Amino acid sequence: MKAMGKLTIGLATAALLIVGCATDGVKSAQKEVVKPSISEESLGLRKTTLYTESNTVADKTAYGTAQASTSTRIKRAFQDAPPMIPHDTNGMLPIKTGDNSCVGCHMPAVAPAMGATPIPVSHFTDFRPRAKIVNGMAVDTVNNYKNETKIVKSDHLQNARFNCSQCHAPQSQGALVVENTFEPVFTSKDGANRSAWDESKYTKSLNTVGAASFVTEDDLANKNSKAGTLGGAKH
Amino acid sequence: MSLSRREFLKSSAAASAAAAIGMSVPAELEAAAAEAEGDWRWDKAACRFCGTGCGIMMATKNGKIVAVKGDPAAPVNRGLNCIKGYFNAKIMYGADRLTQPLLRVDANGNFDKKGKFAPVSWKRAFDEMEIHIKKALKASGPEGVGVFASGQYTIMEGYAAQKLMKGGFRSNAIDPNARHCMASAVVGFYQTFGVDEPSGCYDDIELTDTIVSWGSNMAEMHPILWSRVTDRKLSDPERVKIVSIQTYTHRTSDIADIEIIFSPNTDLALWNYIAREIVYRDDAEKIIDWDFVKKHMIFAASPVNIGYGMRKDGEKSLKEGKYTALEMETVSKEMSKAVSAKEAPALAPYGYKEGDIMKNQDAPLGNLGHWEISFEEYKKALAPYTLDYTAKISKGDPDEDIEKFKAKLQALANLYIEKGRKVVSFWTMGMNQHTRGTWVNTLSYNVHFLLNKQANPGEGAFSLTGQPSACGTAREVGTFTHRLPADMMVANPADRKITENKWMVPEGTINPVGVQHIMKIHRDIEDGLIKFAWVNVCNPYQDTASAEHWLKAAREMDNFIVTSDGYPGISAKVSDLILPSAMIYEKWGGYGNAERRTQLWRQQVLPVGDAMSDTWQWVELSKRFTVKDVWGEWKPSGPRKEALPSMIEKAKAMGYKEDTTMFEILFANDIAKSYKLDQNDPIQKGYDNTEAYGDSRKVVGSDGKVFEGYGFFIQKYLFEEYAAFTRGHGHDLAPFDMYHKVRGLKWPVVDGKETQWRFNAKYDPYAAKATKDSGNSHAFYGTLAKALKQGNLTGVTDKDGKPKPLPNKAKIFARPYMDPPEMPDAKYDTWLCTGRVLEHWHSGTMTMRVPELYRAVPEALCYMHPKDADAKGVKQGELCWVESRRGKVKARVETRGRNRPPRGLVFVPWFDEKVFINKVCLDATCPMSRQTDFKKCAVKIYKA
Repeated sequence: MKAMGKLTIGLATAALLIVGCATDGVKSAQKEVVKPSISEESLGLRKTTLYTESNTVADKTAYGTAQASTSTRIKRAFQDAPPMIPHDTNGMLPIKTGDNSCVGCHMPAVAPAMGATPIPVSHFTDFRPRAKIVNGMAVDTVNNYKNETKIVKSDHLQNARFNCSQCHAPQSQGALVVENTFEPVFTSKDGANRSAWDESKYTKSLNTVGAASFVTEDDLANKNSKAGTLGGAKH
Repeated sequence: MSLSRREFLKSSAAASAAAAIGMSVPAELEAAAAEAEGDWRWDKAACRFCGTGCGIMMATKNGKIVAVKGDPAAPVNRGLNCIKGYFNAKIMYGADRLTQPLLRVDANGNFDKKGKFAPVSWKRAFDEMEIHIKKALKASGPEGVGVFASGQYTIMEGYAAQKLMKGGFRSNAIDPNARHCMASAVVGFYQTFGVDEPSGCYDDIELTDTIVSWGSNMAEMHPILWSRVTDRKLSDPERVKIVSIQTYTHRTSDIADIEIIFSPNTDLALWNYIAREIVYRDDAEKIIDWDFVKKHMIFAASPVNIGYGMRKDGEKSLKEGKYTALEMETVSKEMSKAVSAKEAPALAPYGYKEGDIMKNQDAPLGNLGHWEISFEEYKKALAPYTLDYTAKISKGDPDEDIEKFKAKLQALANLYIEKGRKVVSFWTMGMNQHTRGTWVNTLSYNVHFLLNKQANPGEGAFSLTGQPSACGTAREVGTFTHRLPADMMVANPADRKITENKWMVPEGTINPVGVQHIMKIHRDIEDGLIKFAWVNVCNPYQDTASAEHWLKAAREMDNFIVTSDGYPGISAKVSDLILPSAMIYEKWGGYGNAERRTQLWRQQVLPVGDAMSDTWQWVELSKRFTVKDVWGEWKPSGPRKEALPSMIEKAKAMGYKEDTTMFEILFANDIAKSYKLDQNDPIQKGYDNTEAYGDSRKVVGSDGKVFEGYGFFIQKYLFEEYAAFTRGHGHDLAPFDMYHKVRGLKWPVVDGKETQWRFNAKYDPYAAKATKDSGNSHAFYGTLAKALKQGNLTGVTDKDGKPKPLPNKAKIFARPYMDPPEMPDAKYDTWLCTGRVLEHWHSGTMTMRVPELYRAVPEALCYMHPKDADAKGVKQGELCWVESRRGKVKARVETRGRNRPPRGLVFVPWFDEKVFINKVCLDATCPMSRQTDFKKCAVKIYKA
């Protein structure tokens, strides 16, 4: 990160050199002062030369070694983001049919007693309206042209969520190569530590074009689209 | 399943109660939360990463992304994302985003190829690009200007790039990184169906009984599709079977019923074995659906001595000795090779025996040429693939018992054959990145066709895509060297004319020679033909095999390399000019996924610094070139043996002047300007559009003045003009606005209705039309190569005969097992396979900058069998060298990870700049598709 810090400063200084402030407050390019200041090696993730491998070594993986019962939760990246795994996973992965160690501690019934993060209600909810064969024809069971959803709560972990490691991963310790400036905004109390997922919030904003979210006859006719047909070209 | 079933049952009683423990939200808190989200804006978007094409909901607050969730209305993923999908939230916020153009200069500020980088203005950046493009045009003609394009371009970006390259510069030297991921699938589609892209859709997963994954780690590379597969499997574990056919064990095998570990390249033999079982058992068991086959199929063959897509004798860099003697040990096979004992039985029907020297040459009909054969000839080609021969050459785990392996092959064939059992075959890079990639793609359809298990709900061979818009942009828009929009080809005069008319450029403008595929672009740079190359939304200097050659060519030769990117990756580092690009949600865009689903999104936030979109960069560049700069006569150059005639008089006749810019013709014409900006339009209302309006950053643009926007809805114009090409002939896209209202639609979209199963008369209106008279169930209505001469396995027999048309039919190809050009031997004793991991995308440029993803997998490991580690004297967690004839890298040994290779094979992913594995890989390609085989070469492993 040290080298990166230097580069950022370098860029900022250079930026000051080439961009002045005109009197009306609008940026305009003045005569450029261009000095070679940034080496190829200083850019990016790999700070060693690209042309030989003798001095280049990958960043060593160092996952947390704390046992599941004693590890400290890792803060969630943002509201309802999937939590990362703070504990040693040796012997727990891979997840196989008939052998999913995660559920042993994270099922809500046992999680509090184990000090584990409970699997949230979203994982017990089926979102998928499955296509069906009716009279020999495959048919959709919701209307996708109206952005319909089918959300059914159940009392068992959804099969679609069986592969825990698809979203949850252990975390290597040590410095990042590059920092990230994303800033989460948590809307629930203790959102960095727990899920606040609920169905009503989840489905509230789905009509993203407001009242006009549904396909109209005009849409189908593609009115006023001069470019939209091959006959639309002119010479 | 039994154990976790018990787990589930045990806990399910408690689970309903459990649903209340630890996760219910107290009412007052819920209210507060809802309020806190009051100033969030949620909008839909498509995921940035793989070809699955998941929908996400994205929240912004104060001009920043603050959260992402799965979109429950998106049919692809229904509210679920994978780890990369969720972290779309963070990919634009790495601290070292490029914010200004950077140019290599000397102490006086002049361009200097050997200089360090200096920040420069956009104006200076475009000045330099203009100078160097003009220099390249002068030196090499249009063939001297190249573009590394992308399967991650938005549809609009790809279309803009293609227009200026092919319609403006008259250069076809534009080819996407999708060449490396999908080209074999594409040629497979063209050869089999006469038209590109899959017949099925993801609904096949819920409707099938059997999922066979061929050389594809879907669990990591298409995690959401895998969660749909898992859901299907666990919902009916007795009926639903999963077969995982791989060269090493990985997560996809973890829920499989059968795992088959095969020796690299022998997937060719496995498919032929299944076909042989079908054909040779048919008399006794009535397996083939003859009614379907007779109505819809013909049989075909093509030459076998087509080489391996490597460099050929006589090419400049070979003559100049740029390839070492060690490298030439492999490259020499491009010219000729001895037939091995392993492949000899498979090649016997083609007249070869062990030890014969096979001379590779360009076939009389070209590498893509093929001809019709009889069923009896096809049957002859299948004869060698007995269970004994197939098992002998294909068993990939030396420690597995051959009889057990044979039993698995039989079980596999029987699953396909079983009457009433629906089967879907999925693949991605394993079958595509393959020196016989086109062949193995076509072999998959053979099996499904013979059984009438293709293009039906729940049944079909289904090529999955690697990149988010490999289909939507690279293939459909046609940013390949040989393609034009919507399945049209630059080699076809009628297609060029349609395109020229639509683009309002003179007839004859488009260069008819389109052969500079992405490997050829690298090689043309190394040969000195291409003098200017521009990298768009990809990372070709990290992601191309035999990487040391291309690094050297970029840094040591007289050329000018430009990279546009969000972050400084390896391609940026070796460039002469780096341009800061707006990233995915900083612009309006659209992607098309692997099930033909087109999805559009709106600009969510402003770009950082002075970054601008790739569309803007192309459009600004077009202002620098006039009719007289680019439309004059061009002498023969590189692959083009004829002159390109001048278009200037024709252009004048169209009302253009010699100094009319490409900007005015291609991007800011009257039709473009008819797409009005309108803040009352519900699609545009409240959303930024940096290209159309400029924005509050007041970026100083390519002319040294603040960029105030084009003043029209340029993204909608580009999309609609491109979509015009698709409508009316089986590729139909819906109008722009419609895609902003729904979660994508699978083309062809006819009368507003999407198509789930193409070629099936019940579902595809084009197939329905084609079968109106015949009453057939299917119509394979693609039109490419749909008239063939007659022949046998070794060639055309009626040389003077007229090609026989085969309307609405598809093809079953006879194609043998052959060895790849480089295999382990005494010196380099181990197979190397490269690929991806779940947590990182491609070269890691974005995902290595997301802390959670970086920490999940901070380094590329060398996965190997523990016994191999012992034998080579290397230890778990310690460094080893991985060395081939081309180069070497260091990586840490992993013997107990998620990837578990058999003895004799190692897997090293390619996302890590510090484990530059493409220095080791071989740039052999399928000679038909020109797609690189990243999955196999020979290496040695030793302690570092």
